[in-house]
Amino acid sequence: MEQGRRVNGIELLLVDDEKDFREILVKRLGRRGFKVGALESGEAALVRMQEQPVDVIVMDVKMPGLNGIEALKRIKEDHPATEVILLTGHADTQDGVEGIKAGAFDYLSKPVEIEHLVRKITQAQNKIRRFRAAQQETEFRERITQQMVVAERLAALGTMASGVAHEINNPLAVIQDAAGWLQQILAKPEMEGMARRADFEKALDRIHKAVQRARRITQQLLQVVKTQTAELADPAGMTDVRLRELAEEAIALVEAEASLKKVAIHLESRAPHPVAWTDPYQLLQVLLNLLTNSIQATPAGGRITVSLQVSVEAAKIAVQDTGSGISPDHLTRVFEPFFTTKGVGQGTGMGLYVSWGIIARLGGLITVESQVGQGTTFTITLPVKK
Amino acid sequence: MAAAPSNVLLVDDEEDFVEMLSLRLQEIGETVLAASSGKQCLEILAATEVDVIILDVKMPGMDGIETLEKIKQAHPLVEVIMLTGHGTIESAIQGMKLGAYDLLLKPADFGELVEKLNRARQRKQEQMERIRDAEASKP
Repeated sequence: MEQGRRVNGIELLLVDDEKDFREILVKRLGRRGFKVGALESGEAALVRMQEQPVDVIVMDVKMPGLNGIEALKRIKEDHPATEVILLTGHADTQDGVEGIKAGAFDYLSKPVEIEHLVRKITQAQNKIRRFRAAQQETEFRERITQQMVVAERLAALGTMASGVAHEINNPLAVIQDAAGWLQQILAKPEMEGMARRADFEKALDRIHKAVQRARRITQQLLQVVKTQTAELADPAGMTDVRLRELAEEAIALVEAEASLKKVAIHLESRAPHPVAWTDPYQLLQVLLNLLTNSIQATPAGGRITVSLQVSVEAAKIAVQDTGSGISPDHLTRVFEPFFTTKGVGQGTGMGLYVSWGIIARLGGLITVESQVGQGTTFTITLPVKK
Repeated sequence: MAAAPSNVLLVDDEEDFVEMLSLRLQEIGETVLAASSGKQCLEILAATEVDVIILDVKMPGMDGIETLEKIKQAHPLVEVIMLTGHGTIESAIQGMKLGAYDLLLKPADFGELVEKLNRARQRKQEQMERIRDAEASKP
């Protein structure tokens, strides 16, 4: 968020103990289009940097109290990206050299020639812009790389999991039919008086239920793998989906669960009628999954916000909660099959894996951001009809 | 249930599965024959009258689709239900286009299997009746 504010402009600060000099310089720089804040001491500059950091500082070296070099060193400790231009006394190159050593962008000797100062400020601003652009590019590249790593990992895991699911399905069928056969035999009239009949029935019932559970897991696994191999979804199921209505439907379906946990769900839309080109039933399945997860992760009194956004490129649905958050080492694994932090029998760890598969098949993307103790945001990006 | 003598043929390379499913079907009064390959299936068909075949899509050697094509060539009236895993649904659908009656997803629910089996058998019997009627009304 801080970044968003800083990207807009480069803030400039003048620090000099001579009032007249300050005022004249602020005025002259102002005439050349620079908006400058002004302070009278190194101490004041440090306070300002703590409260509301600036990007470029023009600072006098010779000041009572904290001098310019000391202030520079302290500023650079906490704000290495801030550029400082020092103003030194006439022919006092020693101060300038020391300043450069301490990390100053450059120094100018007084009396300051305004054109010279403007040129230096512009250079410092350019350096900051380049630095920010590089930083953004690095962040972007890291995010893409991370997403690719996750996708590759999931694909590899999916291949393995489907192999396992296939191999498990055959013996499962044998177990199911062996148990089913015994149940059929027990149902025969001639078996009515059989000893310990109830025990047999109980055990067979358990086998049957366990097989059903295993079947559901193998089916979910194979469903995702099918989505991976079939590339994109059948276009017949794709249509213009009004996201607001769909989100309202999903929220209505989980409302009871949410109010039981005293979690409020809000819907926000920045566009009046957001529409995505997608399959409404599959998208609803994913939304329900995300909402249920959020409700479970959010303590009483918490809040879940579903927000909708559209552009000419894509539609976005974000589900943001004020829950417990996901630790960084878990965050890269949440989409993996069988990854769960819930207790045995509470969750299969398949929900997000299946959701990921569905969204990938719909030609979209699902990403997650989280801060432990603050909450988690899942964002679905979907195509729009061009 | 099966008024006319009727045979069901199970074709799957997983022998334990074939055995268990046969036992269950026999328990409800079906007459069941078993084959563990497409080749064996065709051999049985050449020698015995069969109404419905439950045919696995994925088998080593001659697969389900190839077996189905040979069955339909030689015995077009026999109804075939394709038994398929998740990965081979496309093949099972192709099988239905080649004349299979329906498909069942493995591991199949027994009730569903029996229902599809009965419907397939009924269709075959109705077709046989129509043929008999047509033959009887021949001038």
